[in-house]
Amino acid sequence: MSYKCSRCKRDVTLDEYGGVRCPYCGHRVLLKERSRDVKEVDVK
Amino acid sequence: MTQDYEVEFVERSDREARFLVRGISPAFANGIRRAMIADVPTFSVDTVRVIENSSVMFDEQIGLRLGLVPLTTDLDDFEVGDEVTLSIDVSGPETAYSGDLVSSDSLVGPADDNIPIIDLKDGQRLEVEADAVLDRGREHAKHQGGVAVGYRHLQRVEVVGDKGEFEDDETHILRGVIEEQAAEHVDGDADDGDLVLTEEFDSDLTKRYPGKELEVHDVENAFVFHAETDGSLSVEELTLRAVDSIRSRADELRDAVQL
Repeated sequence: MSYKCSRCKRDVTLDEYGGVRCPYCGHRVLLKERSRDVKEVDVK
Repeated sequence: MTQDYEVEFVERSDREARFLVRGISPAFANGIRRAMIADVPTFSVDTVRVIENSSVMFDEQIGLRLGLVPLTTDLDDFEVGDEVTLSIDVSGPETAYSGDLVSSDSLVGPADDNIPIIDLKDGQRLEVEADAVLDRGREHAKHQGGVAVGYRHLQRVEVVGDKGEFEDDETHILRGVIEEQAAEHVDGDADDGDLVLTEEFDSDLTKRYPGKELEVHDVENAFVFHAETDGSLSVEELTLRAVDSIRSRADELRDAVQL
């Protein structure tokens, strides 16, 4: 799962031991990146 | 039974027209209006595949906006249910317009190029693939070809005399088209049965007939239609297709009830 640190804007990968924290700056607010999958939407 | 109708255009352009039809009942006039709105199919975006959308709007909102873009429709080459793929790829800082849509078929494309879809800021991008489907207005309003279709009774204005010396000229508003009886008015050259757009005299009868006593009557079985299309079809095509759809349904009904 890829996230982006909201303070230093670097890409962050979380593992099950590290907890929710940016390994570069220690910031605890991470933003989830949009998936690269193509999303199909019905226009109704 | 066949019956002849008399059709006369009062105003006509590619997307807008005003025409008089004589010899039809109010029910039939309404049938034509409804057919123009709901029964003439037009192309419209029905599914979108979002490849990238880093704009500030949700994919669904972008989809709805794309769905409402009128697409040119050639009804001779397509039938209901046909699909055409379009795509759009715009990077910010720029506004994505309907004109940025690229179609896989040259017959189908945005009717107007200047409909804004979304304003993209620096670093934002919109890349979408969209499937347009040919369907009717009764399935979804985005498929309506006629957007402002209505009709009024034709009204005949007759001069019955002069107004009294002390009577005020109160405004007498009438909209659409009037049929004039030969009578004196500001222009002084009216022929009996002349059709005049009320816009010519600010829709105020007292400006055309100052100081005259007037009578206004509905002309029976005569209706003035005003029709406007969203650009997907010409107004002529829209009207003819609407009438064709009524005819084909009437034929179907006749065949169905014959024993």
